[in-house]
Amino acid sequence: MLKRKVLRDLRQNLTQFMAIFLMSLLGMWIYGGMDAESTGALRVAERFYQEYNLADLWVMGGGFSNEEVRTVAALPEVISAERRLATSGELVLGADMKEADGDETENIPMQLYFLSGYSANRFEVMEGEDYVPDTDGVWLDRFVARKQHLSIGDTVRFKVDGKTVNSVLKGIVRTPELVYYSDSTDITAEYGDFGYAFLSASAYPTADAMVYNQIVVDTLKSDVDDQKPMKAAITAALDRDNIVVSDRSQTQAYQTFQSEMAQHKSMGALFSVVFLLIAVLGIVTTMTRLTSNQRTQIGTLKALGFSKGVITRHYVSYGFILSLAGSLAGMYIGAMTLPRIIYPAFEGGYELPALTAHLSVGPYVAVVISVAVSTMVSFLSCRKELADPPAVTLRPAAPKKIKHSAFEKSQAWLSMSFASQWNVRDMLRNKARTIMGVIGVSGCTMLMVCAFGCSDSTYALVDWMYGELMTSEYKITLSEKADYITAVDYAGKYKGQLLQESSVEIYAGDSSKTGSLTVLDTGNYMHYQDDGLHKIKLDETGVTLSYKMAQNLGVHQGDFIKWHIVGEDEWETTRITQIYRDPMTPGITMTRGVFEGLNHKFAPTSILTNVAVDGTLTEDENIQAVLNVAQMKADFSKNMEGMNMMITMMVTSAVILGIVVLYNLGVLSFVEKTREIATLKVLGFQSRRVRAILQAQNIGITLMGILAGLPFGYGLLILMCGTMSDDMDLVPIVGLQSYLISIGGTFLVSVGVNFLLSGKVKTIDMVDALKGVE
Amino acid sequence: MTPLMEFRNVSKEYKTGERTFYALKDASFTIEAGEMVVILGPSGAGKSTLLNLLGGMDSASSGSILFEGEDLTSYSDNQLTQYRAKNVGVVFQFYNLIPTLTAYENVALMKDLEGGKSFAGKKKDADQEEHMNPAEALAAVGLAEHMHQFPSQLSGGEQQRTSIARAIAKNPKLLLCDEPTGALDTETGREVLCLLQRMSREKKRTVIMVTHNSFFADIADKVIRVKNGGIREVTLNDHPKDADEVSW
Repeated sequence: MLKRKVLRDLRQNLTQFMAIFLMSLLGMWIYGGMDAESTGALRVAERFYQEYNLADLWVMGGGFSNEEVRTVAALPEVISAERRLATSGELVLGADMKEADGDETENIPMQLYFLSGYSANRFEVMEGEDYVPDTDGVWLDRFVARKQHLSIGDTVRFKVDGKTVNSVLKGIVRTPELVYYSDSTDITAEYGDFGYAFLSASAYPTADAMVYNQIVVDTLKSDVDDQKPMKAAITAALDRDNIVVSDRSQTQAYQTFQSEMAQHKSMGALFSVVFLLIAVLGIVTTMTRLTSNQRTQIGTLKALGFSKGVITRHYVSYGFILSLAGSLAGMYIGAMTLPRIIYPAFEGGYELPALTAHLSVGPYVAVVISVAVSTMVSFLSCRKELADPPAVTLRPAAPKKIKHSAFEKSQAWLSMSFASQWNVRDMLRNKARTIMGVIGVSGCTMLMVCAFGCSDSTYALVDWMYGELMTSEYKITLSEKADYITAVDYAGKYKGQLLQESSVEIYAGDSSKTGSLTVLDTGNYMHYQDDGLHKIKLDETGVTLSYKMAQNLGVHQGDFIKWHIVGEDEWETTRITQIYRDPMTPGITMTRGVFEGLNHKFAPTSILTNVAVDGTLTEDENIQAVLNVAQMKADFSKNMEGMNMMITMMVTSAVILGIVVLYNLGVLSFVEKTREIATLKVLGFQSRRVRAILQAQNIGITLMGILAGLPFGYGLLILMCGTMSDDMDLVPIVGLQSYLISIGGTFLVSVGVNFLLSGKVKTIDMVDALKGVE
Repeated sequence: MTPLMEFRNVSKEYKTGERTFYALKDASFTIEAGEMVVILGPSGAGKSTLLNLLGGMDSASSGSILFEGEDLTSYSDNQLTQYRAKNVGVVFQFYNLIPTLTAYENVALMKDLEGGKSFAGKKKDADQEEHMNPAEALAAVGLAEHMHQFPSQLSGGEQQRTSIARAIAKNPKLLLCDEPTGALDTETGREVLCLLQRMSREKKRTVIMVTHNSFFADIADKVIRVKNGGIREVTLNDHPKDADEVSW
């Protein structure tokens, strides 16, 4: 019979219990959904890596000989080692290939791989024939093939290192090595506008004189974290300084995908904590209220001979059932729905096989924790009524000591209207209910501020990079063919600033990271800010390090770092003379003077200019690409699909949270004041006026909640920006408009709930309510 | 013969700071099995305290409370719960029914106590009677037709009769009634009194009724008069009246 009582009590207090159920459900919906999405994607990726034998290590440097490859292959725990040439090139488009608007297309920048073997880093052939080493033909990435309407058997022309390569398209592929790839000039991936292709080493124009710049290594250890000893062994075995040994976590593709999945998981966890906390708060207030209202019933059960244990279990079961049902339902519904919403956005972001959601053990553990906490909180809320002997519990509880608060002695109190005084006293005497309301509303505002803040921060990043830090309107990227004289000629013609950009590997203590080197010639197109975002002049006496890189390596201004340019012999040990903020390219920057002072030859790779650059310039063999900053910024919003979806989710969650909490509290407040409201009606107050009094309390709580939620929202944004990426230096920014939208949105929710509650006052039967206690 | 219930110098005191207030002081009396006892006294006399102590719902500050020779004052909370579950049925002034259960379900609630289900591992005593079927108990109080209605759908008298059915369902040795007619009109109150008297006479139950209404003393076998926390007198009625003859 007690079980039946539970079900009927749940039905009778449906609003409050539904609020707890919904909060538990929403919390686990987000967490379960994001977990299933990211875990599923990671599993699919892992299977993809395993099936096509993604390499464990890449050795990069200049000119690897067969002997060196054999040396690496002979190391214990190495399964295979194969050399290859990875180089930039272009897919040459025919004159008849045009874009949709009728303009002639530009050649497509490509990353080309000339392979000597095919054990590791194999690719999935989606159309055509399997790759066989040392045969003719090209195996092309499917986005480029699709965009350029290329079919198996077509002849494809490449420009590479100043030479032309014609090849028959034998396969259309995707590879686990490049689940994500972008041209260095793109902020985000532009599949189809930049691609990759695999050819055999014998297809290289001067195959005999080809310089292999990579060795791909497959080891027995599959865990990325276990590769350190192997890396050290290879470095020692090859015994030369100008090499970089990278594991999977240091490749753009693997690292971008892994970190985005980690970000999804942590975002899911962050949000669900907010909802689950609200659920726990709901349990505290609801169970305290329930046991207080059912005091006589509890005393009766005790008097009839029910033990404390049975009665305790009875009341604890409310919290247990609700949190278990809500959490489990949320987890499963989340796992079924959220991936379906998020995966389509992956299509344009990652090149992976079909994704299937999969729940890790994390959400199950979260359900257990959530249920345990909810049950414990139910128990603690009930303890008071259960502790006393039946004789005490059967007596009405002593009324709360009511005394005038300090505020009631002030002048402000005297000048307040009756309605305001009534509301303030009610809020002060029912602190738990008031605090719950404020927390719920602040959660709503907080989520909205964070959501819009994410968007503001990301757009601000682009504006920061391409507006404050780099002020040129164009960036001309030179091809490898362009020598120093040519570069200077172009710089003169376009009144531009020369830049050298290379890859470097940086060591500091036990940490090592691959990053970028930027060497600046004279000019005014690059500007710098310190870690406090104040404008600074780039230190011209030494090597400066980006803020994010400094954080990743655990170093500070004044510390020493060891670094070298990938492919070069010279290792440098230099002191960090300055730290600067860079949103997108962590690494080191120095002036040409400092660079040459370290006995390096300045070899410019790009030119910054404000002089208009014709797109046809790329037809020049010395020019690889031309970036139009304004165009790039305009195109950026197209890549915000994933972000926009996340913002929609967060705002929806915020609205649901606000509605559930405010409606729940509105009903509670109403139910507890039934006799008072009935008394007011008897005294002659019209329903409209009584409604206004109740709504005023809701508005008051909303105002307090908003005030609390604004700073917490910014705090949540700071947390989220910190988890976003290892490389991106995302500064949390919330625009005034976003704050105003969040405030307005929260008020809209409050007004909506008030409207929903407004009909209840009319339903009070004055006679019933006042005589009820007799 | 051992009385069913015996109070020996039982006191119940409450301390507030330095002051001690006696709700009951040095109460001594006996109650035999099958007796109908009325505990009479004005408001604040100590009647409810006496009832709570009889029912094991509160603990004495001093003295001994013997039930079938066993001292309840030495019982732990758990033992007192068992005592209540097995031996005591309580009828409250305001019925105290569970509002979300029907009349039948309120009575059937007692089934959860049968065989010591309310406390793990306990077995039924050899001399403990089987619980009544809920429908049987409700029929005994004349509520067969209304058993599937919720308390809010029943009149005051019907609710009180449900409460009585709940109390007698577990065939308790002691039926304690705290102002059972207090919330009822005269006619309904008389019906309830008749029912309680029938329980005592026909079912040989020990019925102890607390009241401030002196008219009820006439129907009792024993009257315990309480005043200012003390037992003023204990009188026996050789010829108790029938409940339907009493008017107030």
